[in-house]
Order: sequence, then C-alpha cells, then structure tokens
Amino acid sequence: MKRREFLIIGLLVLGGFVSIFLNDIKPLPKIIGAKSLLHEVNEQGRYISTDEVARMIMENDPSLLLIDVRSPEEFKKYSIQGALNIPSDKLLKGNNKDYFNQDAYTIVLYSNGSSAADQAWLMLASYGYKGNKVMKGGLNAWYKNILNPQKPENDKLTATLEKQYLFRKGAQIFFTGIQVSGTSSGKSKAKAPSKPIIKHKKKEVTGGCG
Amino acid sequence: MGPLYPQELINPEYNLLIGFFIGIGFGFILEAAGFTNTRKLAGVFYGYDATVIKVFFTAAITALIGLFILHNMGVIDVTLTFYPKTFWIPTLIGGAIMGLGFIIGGFCPGTSLSAAATGKIDAWAFISGVLIGIFGFIFTYDSLWEALRKTGKLGKVDIAQWLGIKEGLFIFLLVIVTVVAFVVFQKWQNSWTNKMDASDLDDLGL
Repeated sequence: MKRREFLIIGLLVLGGFVSIFLNDIKPLPKIIGAKSLLHEVNEQGRYISTDEVARMIMENDPSLLLIDVRSPEEFKKYSIQGALNIPSDKLLKGNNKDYFNQDAYTIVLYSNGSSAADQAWLMLASYGYKGNKVMKGGLNAWYKNILNPQKPENDKLTATLEKQYLFRKGAQIFFTGIQVSGTSSGKSKAKAPSKPIIKHKKKEVTGGCG
Repeated sequence: MGPLYPQELINPEYNLLIGFFIGIGFGFILEAAGFTNTRKLAGVFYGYDATVIKVFFTAAITALIGLFILHNMGVIDVTLTFYPKTFWIPTLIGGAIMGLGFIIGGFCPGTSLSAAATGKIDAWAFISGVLIGIFGFIFTYDSLWEALRKTGKLGKVDIAQWLGIKEGLFIFLLVIVTVVAFVVFQKWQNSWTNKMDASDLDDLGL
C-alpha cells in the first residue's frame, strides 16, 4: 500500500477513536426559522402588565421568576423585589440556560422600557425557549403605575378604573413600604428564588397560534 | 447553526445553487478517480479493482465522523437532517436490481452522468435505461408496487441503538471493519492483477 493510503487510514482511525469520547446525538437547541419567529414576534401574548406582575408578587406566587435584563449597576440602583439579574448578553451563557430550560416557572423579563426586554425575549425565542413573558412598559411603566399611581380624573372615572387605581394604591404601599422615612426606593429585596432544578424542556405548543 | 435549509437560514434558490456546485464537485471527483471508465466499476464485482469500494466507503466514513464531530461541537444539528425509514425487503430487491445494473452497464447513476459529460456513448445509453426505469417505476408506483413497498417495515433504524452501544463506539468499530475490508480487498485485487500481464491491464485501463 502507498503512503497516502496509510495516511488516509490513519486519519479515519483517529477520527473514529475521537468519536468514542463524544456524546450521543441529541437535538441541539433549535434556531427557529424566520417565518415562525416573525409569527411569534407579532403575537402580543408575550406581554404581561405591571399590575399583573405586582399582583403575583403580592400574592407571593411561587411560579413567578422575574428576570432583570439590565446591567448589574442599574440593577443595584433599583430592582423589583425578588428579581434576578441576568444582563441580556449573558442570558444564554454558562448555567443561565437552565433557567429557561424548564416549565416550572413563569419567566417575566423586564428592563427600563420594553425594548431591551423584548430583544432578550426574541433571543430566547429564536433558540426555542417559548412561553417567556415581557413586562409591558418595563420599569418606566412600573414606576408610573405601581410606585406612583395617579388618581384618574373624576370625569373619566369608571368602576374598572377605580378598581385599578385602588389596587395600584395598595401595591404602592406594598412596594414602597410604609416607612417612617418615606423613601420610595424600595430597597428591601426579597431573596431571589434559587435556581430551578427541574430541567424539562418547555413543552412545544401544539396547534393553534404557536 | 446548520443545517441551513431545514432551519430556513437560506432560500430554496441558494439551496439548489449550493447543491449545483456540490454536484459539479462530485462529478469532477468521479472523473478524476477514473470512475467514468466502466471497467473500474465492474472490477469491484470481478475482484480486480477495489477502488470504488475504497472511495465510497472512505467518503461515507469521513462524512460520518465529520458530522458526528460537528454535531458535538454544536455546528450542525444532525437530528434535523432527513433519513428515510427502512423497509428491508424492497431495499434488498432494489439493491439487487441496482447491483445487476452496475455489472451490466459498468456505471452507477452518478458516474453515468460524468461519463456522458465526457462524451461516452454507452453512458448515454445507460442514462436512457435509468430514465426508462425511473418513469416506469413512477407510473406503476401505486398500481403495481403498493404491497411490496410496505413489506419488511422496520421504521427508523439506528444500529448503535439496536446494539445498545454508544454511537461513538459504533463509529470506531465501523472504521476498524472498513479498514480491515480495505486490506482484504487490496489483497484480493493484488492476487488478480498479479495473474494478468501488461496488455491485459492496459486493456482494462488500470
């Protein structure tokens, strides 16, 4: 046999030998196609209102996992209690993926407005992590609606609006704390929920509008 | 990242274009390896030339190892590529018919196209036969072959899973089997060609 044949055989055997130490084939995290991604983006179901988030926190809903996608500096200045800080660029790095690779928690992303959280949501969606939520309006809306709610004008006051206002007023007391000093920074943060251990992949949406 | 087309990362048009260039490359390699010579392919069946076996097995094993390593590196998701379900009885019959065609014609479908491109008339005749076979099968697909098509159903077969061993180990074993087969075939080929004299070899185009 020629030298070249020995070289080829050697390479094949080397490749086969390397293969022994590699893992079995399992589906990789999916990158969703452009079409279905566009569909997901147009779907408004990803938004969750500030009131809904406030209600879940006040009711101590154990399934809520708030994720702050802003930078750690911004997170230190103010964050919603119980929130976990994972900056956008670190969402899929290291063990952070484990947060999204489960279906025990309702994940709510937030940033200052909606767009940074939306981008984070889009990134997760493109890797096939479905069912995550975005807090509509972000912290700006949070401040306006929850921390500093304005009483609706009397001529516009309907039963629903009044109910909403009363809820927000209650939430304001809950989040800003009835403190003697009267600070509204709400620095008392609840302990962040520990990392979920359950690693079930989020269920694929079947039928209907995915 | 990959595969590109099933994940809609490229257009169908680009998909065809890439296929076109790969096809040209494939044809070029077939010609360069001498496969447009009918005696080369028929030689596998008579035992005087093992080139075809070596080339195709090397290609298959290279693709196997390459895809397996790339999948493990997260570059290509092999689970998104298509492979058909196995129906072993029709596969066996089809394989026998195809093998017979190889011996009679001295081409496989790919090499016949390369040979036709180099101007070999017997390749054009072979392609006509291939087309007659294809269209004959298409038009009798439902009427004649319905029952045969569904016999021997095995579903999606994964030999490594069936043996209960790791996929990587299976690949290694397959490489070893292939290398041993290469050596055996080479010995067989040598014992044949040793008996031939120069004019015989010249005649065969080896």
